[in-house]
Amino acid sequence: MNRLPLLFLGIFLTFASAWAGLVVYPYLTLGRLQPITDQETGDILPPPLSGLADAGQKVYAANGCLYCHSQQVRPAYLSTDIAKGLGPRRTVARDYIRSRPVFLGTMRTGPDLTNVGLRYAAEWQHRHLYEPAEVTKGSIMPAFRYLYKKRKIQGAPSADAIQGLVGPYAPGPGEEVVPTEEAKALVAYLLSLRRDYALPEAPEEQTP
Amino acid sequence: MSQDPNIPESEEFREAELSSDMNVAKVHGSIMREQADPRDGYEPVSLWLITFALGLVFWAGMYLVSNSGGFRADVFNSNLVAWDGAGVAVDKGPPDPMVVGKRVFTQYCVVCHQTTGLGVKGQFPPLVASEWVLGEDWHGENHLVKIVLQGLQGPIVVKGENYNNAMAPWGAVLKDDQIAAVLTYIRNSWGNAAPPVSPEFVAKIREESASRTEAWTQKDLQAIPAVRVEASTPPAAEPAGEPAPAPAPAG
Amino acid sequence: MTTLAQSFSPNSQAAIADKVERAEIDASARIPVLLFFGSSIFWLLIGSLLALIAAFKMNIPWLLDSEAWLTFGRVRPAHLNTVIYGWASAAGIGVGLWLQARLCRVPIVHSSLLIVAGIFWNIGVLVGTLGILAGDSRSIEWLEFPGYATPILFVSYAFIGIWGVIMFRYRRPGHVYVSQWYLLAAFLWFPWLYATVNILLIWQPILGSAQGAVNWWYAHNVLGLWFTPIGLASAYYMIPKVIGRPIHSYYLSILGFWSLALFYSWNGMHHLIGGPFPAWMISASVVASVMMFIPVITVAINHHMTMRGNFDGLKWSPTLRFTVFGAICYTAVSFQGSTMAIPSLNTLTHFTHYTIGHSHLGLYGFFSMIMFGAMYYIVPRLVGWEWPSAGLIRWHFWLAAIGIVLMFASLTLGGIIQGLALYDPAVNFMNSLFLASPFLWVRGVSGLLMTAAHVIFAVHFVMMLLHLGAQRAQPTLFAQPIPREETAAA
Repeated sequence: MNRLPLLFLGIFLTFASAWAGLVVYPYLTLGRLQPITDQETGDILPPPLSGLADAGQKVYAANGCLYCHSQQVRPAYLSTDIAKGLGPRRTVARDYIRSRPVFLGTMRTGPDLTNVGLRYAAEWQHRHLYEPAEVTKGSIMPAFRYLYKKRKIQGAPSADAIQGLVGPYAPGPGEEVVPTEEAKALVAYLLSLRRDYALPEAPEEQTP
Repeated sequence: MSQDPNIPESEEFREAELSSDMNVAKVHGSIMREQADPRDGYEPVSLWLITFALGLVFWAGMYLVSNSGGFRADVFNSNLVAWDGAGVAVDKGPPDPMVVGKRVFTQYCVVCHQTTGLGVKGQFPPLVASEWVLGEDWHGENHLVKIVLQGLQGPIVVKGENYNNAMAPWGAVLKDDQIAAVLTYIRNSWGNAAPPVSPEFVAKIREESASRTEAWTQKDLQAIPAVRVEASTPPAAEPAGEPAPAPAPAG
Repeated sequence: MTTLAQSFSPNSQAAIADKVERAEIDASARIPVLLFFGSSIFWLLIGSLLALIAAFKMNIPWLLDSEAWLTFGRVRPAHLNTVIYGWASAAGIGVGLWLQARLCRVPIVHSSLLIVAGIFWNIGVLVGTLGILAGDSRSIEWLEFPGYATPILFVSYAFIGIWGVIMFRYRRPGHVYVSQWYLLAAFLWFPWLYATVNILLIWQPILGSAQGAVNWWYAHNVLGLWFTPIGLASAYYMIPKVIGRPIHSYYLSILGFWSLALFYSWNGMHHLIGGPFPAWMISASVVASVMMFIPVITVAINHHMTMRGNFDGLKWSPTLRFTVFGAICYTAVSFQGSTMAIPSLNTLTHFTHYTIGHSHLGLYGFFSMIMFGAMYYIVPRLVGWEWPSAGLIRWHFWLAAIGIVLMFASLTLGGIIQGLALYDPAVNFMNSLFLASPFLWVRGVSGLLMTAAHVIFAVHFVMMLLHLGAQRAQPTLFAQPIPREETAAA
């Protein structure tokens, strides 16, 4: 194998085969998926994100949430994701067309978040982001206090103030903790994480 | 030595350079003792390696053909060789409430009530053989629907055990047919057997309690007479309008 | 061209001509390669520090938790990117350029452009890392550097890649050695990977989970088609070079190279088994991952049979010891990878620390250890000095080797236990954390050992640059080599 053209051709073709299969093919088939309209209800599926939730994606990306949290539900024949209650069905490609970027994740140091919008309300999310170790005992999730502001109450307490904080950084008397715009956007994004709709390519799971 | 790598060096040229410039002095000791550059031996490839490789190729082909969902872009489960393309547009008839109910239950309820319906002792009440679910004693299906719609809080007694927690309201999240399905599901799973709940029943109760914003307490519910769903056989004799005495709640 | 016999008569004119040529090549490579080596070691230290912070945060969540730029979600990708692009890539570029220059017997000309490229590579990594810590991470795994850093890296690489390929183009005619194929391929594959992923995920992002496919096609191929070929090229050079024997089989080299090229690039989806992708893509990756047994066994046989009868070299040669350790880790990590890709096993190991153990065995146990071995060989030839202390090399080796073995063991066991807990629906999620926690402590300690090894290496490297220590005439070895009766190969 002493000739450059032959080597070059081989190097090119072997690489190009996988490039065609794992890059070009998904680009053509999956990369241009459009939302569908549900026949019965007229809903656009998957539902579009609100502006705040869209901004929340950037906060999610900036703070590296995906290094502990995945966002994919695996099928029943291959895993116990559905039996554990991560979602009613596996996730498919179309579920992610609103995500930028797509936070599939590869670690479950923390729980999967595909359907977290169905499990917890905004108030819980704020408390959990501010003091995760108090909300869930033994949690190793870092505290995102820098997404919040602790300040003196001026006049009336703010409507946004987080209630029920108990940890070492809880507000003292006359103080309150309010979310920054980033925190509000992040929580809006987390609340938008739900897959409680059916898609044509996502069949009902029949768990045994 | 020529700096241009394009011009191949001839042996004579290099040897002439060598003796004239005493370039040897420039050569560091580490290079002096270096071995020759690596070269190839020509042992043949062993037969067992070739056999092994071919065996793997065979396995690869078999696996690919049987686990690729027909190489379709819309088949995600590899255990489906082909898929008949049934989608949202196809009318499959009214959905089975047990299937829909199970889906709703798994999605929203198992976090607290568990897949077994047994809940968590002291924290989340069980649904298995629960009088609340089956509509026994003072309980009616209207109470059950109200709990799902507006939530439940404060001390309660389930199967003789005390609980004091807060169940979130689901009225804004779940539609009537979903609530009907999930209640039918829990009333007919894990050994429970009770008549199904219809979406119309849920709609009626939703309208009734539209003004309620707070979660229900056991006391509040007991003040409301039980309403049972119609079953094919007449239900057992209903209690009188008087609520049963509430047991003293534990701390 | 020097004949075989001539090259083994050390004092023949032709042999001396060879040595002079090598000296010329080494002189031409000195500044660019040392620049890449120095940069890589600097980033190794930074990357190790970031790793320690990230690792201990998993056991002590309140550690350094008040500042945004130190949150785990930023430190962890900062660690990943500094070790991939700052340490491993720069080391690989340095080793690759030197190997290619030596094997093609072409001096590096116009090295000033390479030096500029090296400086810009460092700027790119610095800007990118600071960007991640500042909150501009893209959260695309292995591609977290923000958009203002990646073009710097790409343009810098363009120069480096061109050099790598041009040296091959102008090589001395004759037999092309296996390392040259691997290096040529690596220098060609990397820019294709980098350009594709930047276009499809950042400039004109594709929609939906297709991003995941492109993401992991990229990340896995950086491992398999950028780092692995450079690591194998170095092993294929250093092993026969140090022991003075030919590589066992040219045909095995061919089989190993082409099967790697064909199968490796299809592996990417095995990071996403069960994920939202058409079934055939996942199955293709599962198949390709298992087919990797072919190139890995081939290379293992080739290296082992070459080493057979020469294992005493491990007693005295630092280069050989690091390189063979790395080659063994290559076999181990690849076998592990092939088995991990099987769906029934993957369902337990996916999303757990097991995967992290695997990735560190590959990038550190295999690639980094081979890079260390190569540097121990190359640096003396560039600075005209021998390593001042065999003891420091010994410490480096043992701290690194014990460190990676401990890291791999703790993450593998911890990952399995975590995976079993995650699998059982009846087990509370938090148990997967509590059960794995002690293993994470051990991992942290192993990281301390490895960091100590890197500090020792960095100090030693600086001593080399400054010509500290006693001047030696002999190479710095662990022990005296047992003299051979003959120097000619079989």
